[in-house]
Amino acid sequence: MINITESILVITLLSVLLSLGSTRLMALVQIMALQGIMVSLTPLFLRSHGSLGSGAIIFFQIMILIKGLLIPGLLYMAVKRVAIKREIEPFIGYHASILAGLAILIFSIFITNNLRLSLPEGHDMVLITAITTMAAGFFLMMARSKAITQIIGYLMLENGIYLIGTALTKHSHTLYVVEFGVLLDLLVGVMIMGIILHNIHNAFDDVDTTSPRRLKD
Amino acid sequence: MIEFIFILPIATGLMTLALPATLGRIVLLVTALLHLQLTIMSWMGRLVPTFSDYFSASPEGLLILMVTSFIFVCISLYSFSYMQETDIENKPLFICCMLLFLGTMSMVTLSDHPIVLWIAIEATTLVSAPLIFIHRSKAALEATWKYVLICSVGIALALLGYFFITLAMDLGNIDAPMTFTSLNTVATQLDPLWLKVGFIFVIIGFGTKMGLAPMHTWLPDAHSQAPSPASALLSGALLNCAFLGIYKTHVLMCIAGLGEFSGNLLIGFGLISMMVGAIFIIGQADYKRMLAYSSIKNMGIIAFGVGIGGFALYGAFLHIIHHSLLKSSLFLSAGNILLGFGTKQVQRIGGIIRHLPRTYIAFFAGFIGISGMPPFGMFISEMIIMVGAFQEHRYISVALFLLALTLVGAGVGRIFMSMSYGETSKKLLVKEKTIRLLPSYALLLASIALCIWMPDIVHTTILNSIKIIGGITHV
Repeated sequence: MINITESILVITLLSVLLSLGSTRLMALVQIMALQGIMVSLTPLFLRSHGSLGSGAIIFFQIMILIKGLLIPGLLYMAVKRVAIKREIEPFIGYHASILAGLAILIFSIFITNNLRLSLPEGHDMVLITAITTMAAGFFLMMARSKAITQIIGYLMLENGIYLIGTALTKHSHTLYVVEFGVLLDLLVGVMIMGIILHNIHNAFDDVDTTSPRRLKD
Repeated sequence: MIEFIFILPIATGLMTLALPATLGRIVLLVTALLHLQLTIMSWMGRLVPTFSDYFSASPEGLLILMVTSFIFVCISLYSFSYMQETDIENKPLFICCMLLFLGTMSMVTLSDHPIVLWIAIEATTLVSAPLIFIHRSKAALEATWKYVLICSVGIALALLGYFFITLAMDLGNIDAPMTFTSLNTVATQLDPLWLKVGFIFVIIGFGTKMGLAPMHTWLPDAHSQAPSPASALLSGALLNCAFLGIYKTHVLMCIAGLGEFSGNLLIGFGLISMMVGAIFIIGQADYKRMLAYSSIKNMGIIAFGVGIGGFALYGAFLHIIHHSLLKSSLFLSAGNILLGFGTKQVQRIGGIIRHLPRTYIAFFAGFIGISGMPPFGMFISEMIIMVGAFQEHRYISVALFLLALTLVGAGVGRIFMSMSYGETSKKLLVKEKTIRLLPSYALLLASIALCIWMPDIVHTTILNSIKIIGGITHV
């Protein structure tokens, strides 16, 4: 029998590696949509007790909607409006990025095995995936120069942090109101970043973060 | 229902989007006054939290709420005239974001649940971003982009930190509600390793927002590009809110018996921030950036004082109050100068004493205050922090502290002299107006008044904020 949780986590890991190697921004947005859905599904299959309250069900459905549809939708519009197709000159090349992604993966397996946390059954994999996603998000933000890729890197970081939250903590103190607040902040954050991106594009005719370099000491 | 304190500005803020700007300005001022009234009521203990799982009225929170509320009244009075004299493209948006900013900051001061605190701090970033790029210049865009991205990533790390603290709770097998109040009662049972890891992430995360070096890179840009009322609010109120997040976690660490670890981290970050602030002030060509670096330095002093603890902790809390009052007054004066001369370059400004005599008084008094000279409160607070550090035998730290203060005094003095007395070929664009001067004067007077006569209730509140981790008020 195929373990659903593990397949979801493997898909998440693959999406991380794919995003490090993809040159086209549209593909990157689609990968983020997939990753968002997978990340929101993870806690559903981890919960061993199975009985979910009605509040929890509504929350998870909203979360899938926001992470899988709304945020990628906003990114899609941003990419369309600024009319750029691909990242031409990344700071770190694509092959090197994938290699770095694999190195991050090995590193997070190493960390997880050495932490000796008394994690519940099956949560080791979640922790590995979470650390990889987080670190890869950071890497993406540093390795790419386009502003939109930096937003995507931030989203990946946020996904990783969310996974760590689900992997490490018991669900007895999860308050859905609070988690919903976090999600809302993320959504509004991406919206505002999208608006600024649009304005940067209008002002500089480019969304490269290396072009505005007026402010410094 | 203490939640009204943040619900009121958020509701009126959203309402002003639909109103014309002339009416919106009045709503801004009225809301500020009502907010101050609610704050005073909460000080008198008339308001109790309805959702006590998420919110509570902690003494340190109330203190920062009062400072925020008072500054906001002054700034809204200033904005009243400021908005007429500058061409802001979207005035309703400006008013709306100012009010939302006040609302989210009030939410930070009242929240008791760590994640709610996190949500509120992240929300302050989001609602203040439009304030910075309200003028839509290229430099403002760049500043906003840096602000939103750096702060969001930084704050995301603080969320990770709070997850680790939750893990510390699980490993200790504690089944308590996750609020700071209840965490403090079970602090000794928490897993110390994960608590430490959590604190490191929290201090890096909220330290980014508070402007602690080396995570401060967004701060000078955002403060110099934002319109002056927004800069005053960023520096005088927002940085305190981020500090509150760190302080509450530091209290938890102290009760758990890890106070030395977290204190040393705070001292380290504090000293680095002081030095970075001092070094960049010398030779600064832009006076608003100079004020921003001075904020970094002062946040460093606050972190330093809290890290040392004891007597210095009392000084740190005084420093928060006086820094907010003096710095927002200075930013408002800087706004008058910017309106008058139309440039932020120190070299192109001269003779403020002749062209803007009444602004000069406020600017000069602010300069005296920010350099840590009497009769302003920063003199007392810096002195107390120094004495506190001596008591703890931190001689090298005190030496660095004094060095930073001297450097700042020299740097600020040079800039101030050349702006006040030099010559300029520029013509004055906008004359000074009483309504734009009153707020600066009020803030300065408040700082002097608090030096001469500290109301008992303020004194007790500071005492209540610090006594839980062993802060004292006498040598």
